Amino acid sequence: MDGTRRSFFTAASSVALLCTIGGEEVSVSDRGDLRRADAAAARVKRPRAAVAQAIPQIEPAPGGTRREVWIQAETARLSVTPARRDEWHNRAVPGGRNAFTAFVYREMTAGFAAYKYGPSIPGPTLTAEVGDVLVVHFRNGDTKLRQAVTMHPHGVKYNPEYDGAYMGEYTRAGGFIAPGETFTYQWECTPDSIGAWPYHDHGPNHTLNTFRGLFGTIVVRPPGDRWPDRMYTLFAHQLPPPVTGLDRTFQCFNGHAYAGSTPILRSRVGEDVEIHAIGMDSNFHTFHIHGHRWRNAAGAFVDNPTFGPNETVTARFTEDNPGRWLYHCHVFTHQDAGMAGWYVVDP
Amino acid sequence: MSLRKSLLCVLVASLAVPAVAGAQSYPEPKQPGPVEAPPKGPHKTYTVCASSRCDFKSIQKAVNRARAGDTIRVRNGVYREAVKINGRGKRYLKLIGNRSKPAKVKLLARGKMQNGIFVNDADEVTVDGFMAQGYRSNGFFFTNLNGYTMNHLIARQTGVYGLYAFNTIGGKMLNSEAYYVNDGAFYIGQTPPQAKPVRTVVRNVAGWGSPLGFSATNMRYVTITKSRFYNNALGIAPNALDSEKYPPAEDNVIIDNDIFWNNFNFHQGKPPFAVRSEGTAALAPVGTGVLLLGGRGNRIENNRIFGNYLAGVVAVEGILLAKNPDARALRNNVVQNNAFGLGGTDVNGFDLIYDGNGTNNCFSMTGVTSMFPADGSTFAGCGGTNAFSAAVQTQMIGWTGEGALAAWNKHPHPPKAGYAPLEVFGS
Repeated sequence: MDGTRRSFFTAASSVALLCTIGGEEVSVSDRGDLRRADAAAARVKRPRAAVAQAIPQIEPAPGGTRREVWIQAETARLSVTPARRDEWHNRAVPGGRNAFTAFVYREMTAGFAAYKYGPSIPGPTLTAEVGDVLVVHFRNGDTKLRQAVTMHPHGVKYNPEYDGAYMGEYTRAGGFIAPGETFTYQWECTPDSIGAWPYHDHGPNHTLNTFRGLFGTIVVRPPGDRWPDRMYTLFAHQLPPPVTGLDRTFQCFNGHAYAGSTPILRSRVGEDVEIHAIGMDSNFHTFHIHGHRWRNAAGAFVDNPTFGPNETVTARFTEDNPGRWLYHCHVFTHQDAGMAGWYVVDP
Repeated sequence: MSLRKSLLCVLVASLAVPAVAGAQSYPEPKQPGPVEAPPKGPHKTYTVCASSRCDFKSIQKAVNRARAGDTIRVRNGVYREAVKINGRGKRYLKLIGNRSKPAKVKLLARGKMQNGIFVNDADEVTVDGFMAQGYRSNGFFFTNLNGYTMNHLIARQTGVYGLYAFNTIGGKMLNSEAYYVNDGAFYIGQTPPQAKPVRTVVRNVAGWGSPLGFSATNMRYVTITKSRFYNNALGIAPNALDSEKYPPAEDNVIIDNDIFWNNFNFHQGKPPFAVRSEGTAALAPVGTGVLLLGGRGNRIENNRIFGNYLAGVVAVEGILLAKNPDARALRNNVVQNNAFGLGGTDVNGFDLIYDGNGTNNCFSMTGVTSMFPADGSTFAGCGGTNAFSAAVQTQMIGWTGEGALAAWNKHPHPPKAGYAPLEVFGS
């Protein structure tokens, strides 16, 4: 019976990832393919144009600051369902093993001296105001996969050196950071940067590495704008067997699946709450919070907006409804495979 | 000639004798290049000890037999040899002694032996769990390579440096101690500039009882953290000199260290090493926690700096650079969030001293209780050109070597478990 169930989960939810890695096309549909993809990524040579860096320090706009962070990419073993229960349906989490090798961004102290937090998906949330320059000291700390990775931001302004994108022979300095190397990105926060945006790997093996967890959030506000009392970011993404080596696909928020393991959001009545939901796989999702409505960018009330890959929807509201609520993606095959969690509002 | 220029001439002339004078001739420095790929196995493990139970009685013989990626395990004992690991054929070699009690695997110099362990042109070699004592030059010396690990090492009474990396890229110095060294207990120098730097980490080391706890001529991309530098004449000294390539010191981070009681006046008494009357060590302003002698983009933050009779942190133009004037100016250095003076119970002579040289050097005044100049005028200019004062610099030059004692704020230190102040040895 177990074998039948496992086969069902695998067949029902495992989709091959088609990755183009430095000129090689690799279809990743099982663990062997994963090794082949990593080997292909390790073979990608540094493009000539990606070597030089002679960019002066970019100064912030008047009133802005240079906000420096140190972020290291590295592999880590993470559990998808640490609670081992689906609290929504009050059952054990189906699907057997749940630990896998993720690829994550970790915030560190200056000079990469020490970790600030444990490994997690997503990476650190970078916050800034318009006029600031985000100065990201990035280190490829991977010692196992032996491939270049990067940080590519959405939403902010940058010159080609700081794009963080591998583009073959057109690759610039920030688009190929080999294992052990560091690179400092400078991203300008301009008035059109206001909002919540993803950043992610865009190196030679970006599709696979993004699926493994190399992504995070940038939040930019107008100068002096009031920050919400509570701010959360939820990445909707899947962890399929070819990426994890596990027996089934998990539909996740922030690297975890099923209420009890996904982030538990909390607030109090009267608080200003802001939740950003961002898509980080190849699917479209929706973001639904039970018992709550909010206005979208056009001013209309919504409670289940749709968002696609690397797209953000933001729910901001003044909390007025205490209780234990579900949040989830309303694509049914996602919510029932783990893309759900708790939102707890205290009176 | 002005007083300042006269003093500078004297200082530069005193550097004519480099720290390695009298040492053996080393291989010419060469660009380390990209790190070599790990060798394919299978790899072998060899053992070394005094008895016939082991594969070899000599570490060097085991090294000579080993191939890239092999492991050599050295049992407890005293080994009177100078080990050389040379060339790419020895890359990724692991030389393992006693990690928990490094002093049990002792390399003891005999005659004119120069280095306890000398690694040249072999990437990613690991040396772990040894003590080196009495060598003419250095305890552990790595050069011309990309990537290394020095771990659980002790260097005592070595002739120039204790743990030493020169012309290297990347690497780790971890969990080690060096003391009674006649120049720098630890030293990283002449790091080649890199477009995408591979950083070096120095963590949990102790450098003490020496002219310099950590010397760093033209050092780059090094993070020094969770370490202790105490009872030296000068705790840590990122500096810029013509005697090595690629000045100045650049993009180093000194964070979360204890830097205290650096008042060891080795010019007096009978220190347990041969005192150098010339060179960098002789110029170290006795009583200083950290000295930035030139430098760009260095950060000194979140350290605990106390009980240094002259100063906690000193920043001064790279005045000893005669051949590289473009590299003299201090630029983009940051000194912030340090805890000075142990809550007022063990103050520094001055928490900060700065001649105002350069541009965009930024000093946080949070927690600073004393500075030179007293009016703080040279500390202005964060974000632009700083406020240079020739008079302040002239005074600072006067505080080189023992000249610093004239400005000392000498006082008793509160007790610190496991430590005793060292100011004059054997008097």
